[in-house]
Amino acid sequence: MSLPNVSSDLVWEVVRNQNAFLVKSKLSGGVQFSRDPLNLTNLHSRKYAGFVNDKAVGVIPTEKGVKVISKKSSATNQPAKALINTTYNKSGRKTYKSVANLAAKSGYRADLRKAAVARASAIKKSQRPVKETPEKKLRGKKAAAAASE
Amino acid sequence: MASRPTVTILGADGAATGNTHTIPAVFLSPIRPDIVQQVHTGMAKNKRQPYSVSEKAGHQTSAESWGTGRAVARIPRVSGGGTHRAGQAAFGNMCRGGRMFAPTKTWRKWHVKINQGQKRFATASALAASAVPPLLLARGHQINTVPEVPLVVDSAAFDGAAYAKTAAALGLLKSVGAGPDVEKVKGSKKLRAGKGKLRGRRYRQRRGPLVVYDPEVDGKELVKGFRNVPGVETCSVQALNLLQLAPGGHLGRFIIWTSSAFKSLDSIYGTTTTPSDLKKDFLLPSNIVSQADLTRLINSSEIQSVLRAPKGEKNTKRGAVQKKNPLRNKQVLLRLNPYAAQFQKEKIGQQKIDEGKPAKVSAAFKEILQEL
Repeated sequence: MSLPNVSSDLVWEVVRNQNAFLVKSKLSGGVQFSRDPLNLTNLHSRKYAGFVNDKAVGVIPTEKGVKVISKKSSATNQPAKALINTTYNKSGRKTYKSVANLAAKSGYRADLRKAAVARASAIKKSQRPVKETPEKKLRGKKAAAAASE
Repeated sequence: MASRPTVTILGADGAATGNTHTIPAVFLSPIRPDIVQQVHTGMAKNKRQPYSVSEKAGHQTSAESWGTGRAVARIPRVSGGGTHRAGQAAFGNMCRGGRMFAPTKTWRKWHVKINQGQKRFATASALAASAVPPLLLARGHQINTVPEVPLVVDSAAFDGAAYAKTAAALGLLKSVGAGPDVEKVKGSKKLRAGKGKLRGRRYRQRRGPLVVYDPEVDGKELVKGFRNVPGVETCSVQALNLLQLAPGGHLGRFIIWTSSAFKSLDSIYGTTTTPSDLKKDFLLPSNIVSQADLTRLINSSEIQSVLRAPKGEKNTKRGAVQKKNPLRNKQVLLRLNPYAAQFQKEKIGQQKIDEGKPAKVSAAFKEILQEL
């Protein structure tokens, strides 16, 4: 069910100045962020405003993988049915491939492919163990002094 | 508006009863945040209590100016002696113990008249916005478990004062998917900042769902059941109020309708062509643009058929958009100086280095040079 008096263009004009997800800041020339789980870049913008658009993709971290949320455009007025969750616990490249396919295949949101993969990649990177930085090797005079001792 | 979509009517357990109802025409009204905000600003002012400072404040002294010639300002000064107060300036807004500038009066214009047409437009607009899930999300409602928006619950469930008790009412909210929204309200209760705490406004919290009922069919007992659930408000369908439909002037309140209230919207608001039964001389506002979806408009065959074919190639070559430095960028250098390729290939620039040091001049040459 979709009513002829409403569209995502109109909704965006209504919500762009103020909404529950918007985080306004006076820093960095008034940068505006979004807390929307369906927003891939966390930036407040028309393209990435997932709750406004009929089709949207969100990527969220899980225990050891990523969860991709997508929106069913046929269930716009049925919020309980509207979201589809898919979890990937695969290796990095396989995850990115799946995320890219989910976002862009069969004409879903090809414009979000890059952002979706980037977000999945960032999440995967954060889940890897942090490598310790190796101890600094002494060079020149200091190395000689250390060797003579 | 030939075919309006239908809305499922849910039972008390949250499952569809199988009955549906065509969505009332009021939900097709134009969504106009500008009108709603303006009307809301006016309406919010109509519940104010007059206040003012005391009429006498700052004037309870017999101060008189000393006039000129005493080398002090001509402001009125407290008369007499024997106390520190004597001789101090009084009355003025710049004086300690003086009255304020332009003392507030109880006869300030506290209330705002709003045109009835505008109020009705704003109400219709707010109702239309309550059927748009993105606007509900933008207002902060938790609707991820709600089966359908607008949410309509069968009036049969309210028979015989079934929800006169809060426990039962809360159970209904949970079963129709409004549980998370109520939980959000419960967690949002905070102590108010400032003096409002002392003036009967101790806490502030979010607004939850609004339950709209028809008192003639559903009875009024449900009001008692819902009134102690945090954030939940109840309202009769005959007395819908913009302050509840769009709190803070923000569109998209989460509304739970009883089926009889939902059905009576048809007669209360009428349509754009048939006048309302209850409101005198009222027709619902029409949309200026009947199709709000810009993408659909642009891609429609009516528009695409009259457009010119795009000129030029698919990828247009951009001219000199950015100046490139030929000293750093070899391709730009070659465009300017085709000889550069040969110059570089034959290493003409390095020839003198390869030759080594220049040959020494002969002694005879030096001699001639010095003679001169």
